[in-house]
Amino acid sequence: MSSISAKSDRDAGAQAAAAKARPRVDRSQWIGLLYIAPAIILVAIFFVIPLVMTIWMSLHNWPLMGGHTFIGLDNYVAITKDTRFWNALKFTLYYTVIVTIAIFAVAFPLALFVEKPRPLNGLYRTAFFMPVVVGFASASLLWAWLLNVDAGLFSPAAFRLGLTEKKFNLLATFDPAFWSIIVMVVWKVAGFTMIILMTGLQSIPGDLMEAAKIDGASGWQRFTSITLPLMRRTLALALILSVAGSILAFDQFYIILRGGPRNSTLTAVYWIFNQSFVSFKLGYGAALSVVLLVILVVISLVQLRLLRNPEGT
Amino acid sequence: MRRFTSLVAATAALLSMTALAGAAETANIWVRSDGSNFMPKIVEAFNKSHEDQIKLDIIPTGELVQKYATAVAGGTAPDGLALDLIYTPAFAAAGQLEDITDWAKSLPYFKELSPAHVKTGTYKDRVYGLPYSADSSVLIWNKNLFKKAGLDPDKGPTTWAEIEADAEKVNALGGDVKGFYFSGSCPGCNIFTFTPLVWASGGSVLSDDGSKATLNDPKLREAIDFYRDMIKKGLVPEGAQTDTGANFFAAFAGGNIGISPSGAFAIGALNTQYKDIDYGVTFLPGKDGGWSSFAGGDNFVVTKGTPKVKVLQEFLDFSYSLEGQTLLASLGSLPVRGDIAKEALKDLDPRYQIAAEAMAKGQTPYSVVFNDIINSANGPWAQMISEVFYGDDVDGAITNAQDTMQGIIDGAAK
Repeated sequence: MSSISAKSDRDAGAQAAAAKARPRVDRSQWIGLLYIAPAIILVAIFFVIPLVMTIWMSLHNWPLMGGHTFIGLDNYVAITKDTRFWNALKFTLYYTVIVTIAIFAVAFPLALFVEKPRPLNGLYRTAFFMPVVVGFASASLLWAWLLNVDAGLFSPAAFRLGLTEKKFNLLATFDPAFWSIIVMVVWKVAGFTMIILMTGLQSIPGDLMEAAKIDGASGWQRFTSITLPLMRRTLALALILSVAGSILAFDQFYIILRGGPRNSTLTAVYWIFNQSFVSFKLGYGAALSVVLLVILVVISLVQLRLLRNPEGT
Repeated sequence: MRRFTSLVAATAALLSMTALAGAAETANIWVRSDGSNFMPKIVEAFNKSHEDQIKLDIIPTGELVQKYATAVAGGTAPDGLALDLIYTPAFAAAGQLEDITDWAKSLPYFKELSPAHVKTGTYKDRVYGLPYSADSSVLIWNKNLFKKAGLDPDKGPTTWAEIEADAEKVNALGGDVKGFYFSGSCPGCNIFTFTPLVWASGGSVLSDDGSKATLNDPKLREAIDFYRDMIKKGLVPEGAQTDTGANFFAAFAGGNIGISPSGAFAIGALNTQYKDIDYGVTFLPGKDGGWSSFAGGDNFVVTKGTPKVKVLQEFLDFSYSLEGQTLLASLGSLPVRGDIAKEALKDLDPRYQIAAEAMAKGQTPYSVVFNDIINSANGPWAQMISEVFYGDDVDGAITNAQDTMQGIIDGAAK
């Protein structure tokens, strides 16, 4: 009894204190707002305002040069009939699926490799991560040279070594050109995915593994029953980053292939670039960007939902 | 890197501006990087002899249009620019250019100015651009290789059959030597050097007013077969198929190519940078003789509303003088004033005469959507080029390109 009354007394006291402290709580809220103000301002200037402007532009016939006129949803109607955009999107999705699988197929073993303590580990990690710090455009230029049939490395080397009868032009047909790009992107990006996956691996408590070992679980069983489930969130992060990055692919196709051979590697962003800066239709380019943004948000939401923890957290 | 260069350029500009006396004005002009051989030199000559000054920026050729458009939107556009003449109609149509009809018509030699330039510089009967630099497409051949192959080094081919026969003989030298070169994935290079083969045979790719695509012209098909035949015979290096223009000039300059379609600019570049290559210049022939050329180059245009028109006029007067025309010609840009062209070229390499004649009688397609239908690396012309020379379905590619091109033209006319 006494404990109950004591508790209610304490509650009452706490409430009174809260009532007295209300102005102070308000002030601390303001201070909180102040703390996040720089972030809000940055997001507003570099994301919200440009996004609103893009949407606004997408409702106009807005040439790169000259005046613009409001045309409502005409740009969006035109997109539904723009088969080349939908083909570009189809190619982009195909590329995304292939490159994501390829990146994970390379990054996961690498992560498992560099996660365990071993001699020269720092060297391995640095070596695998090194291509990530090269800009995508610089890396593309480097590979444009490597892949060049006359002055590059791969074709002349294969020819000199007697592997091919004549210099094979890697960029002339779709399959070799496409797979060259995949190899280049994996080389460039896998190190980053590796680091993300490695942090996930390191967060798995060692005693869990030991307990499983003592219980006689095989290496594969430990991987599928402990490692993978505990890495769900890390995997989700790596997957979303990889998918979003791949859907927005542009540099490598622009610099190495110019969308060729025969326009077969035009990505969605490349098509937006072309509409905006080759055909000078900024308004239409903006509308395409909005459509792509919506598609990307939907895909990301689906991924988050699929990779959600069963408990719903 | 580019940012660094522009920073250096900006600093240099600032320094030169502070060094100048207050009375003199400085106008800013742009030129595409294709003009980097002649433009800096003529600007330098102008600045030395005039109180008013010109500040020159060189912009990468492929980015000039977007850079200019965004600069206009941002209020930092140059006062004037040397603009690839084929873009003049599009820029004028967009209302970005100053109407300079009165200035142009007041020039005593207006009627003598390069007709291709004036035609593209005129939009709805008003003049928006004046001829600046000129470049015509021609055929060049390597005399050393011709000699080695047992051909007469002083006689260039005059029909398609002769081109192919000569290329085969040169190709037979073997090793790294190849008979013929063209940039197989470069839409700009091919409108410049391939369409003249069609024109010279009586065909066309676009109607005169730019309203109809005519890619289904049988003469175009014949010219395509001519190239395909040479590719099949192995006369063209492997790299040509994917060359987006980087080797357009460099391949011939390397000294291992027998014959290559090229431009007047090559004369200036070969003479100054590749002195050991002995080459001949002739016209781009039709199937059974005759010849044609793409009359290209830059129009000088003035940004709407600039207060520096006077300086630009001074600069153009200087460029149009005999001194200016001679200087331009010696650096690889053909004279644009017909009345003094002979005099300006008189002491120069006689091979310029061929190019000058090609310029005078050359053709220039007229279209407000030129970038879209021809120059874009993913446009219908580019797609057709890459499919018809190396692909299997030539007719399908042509039909497809014809429909796409017409669609773009119709879409823009609405």
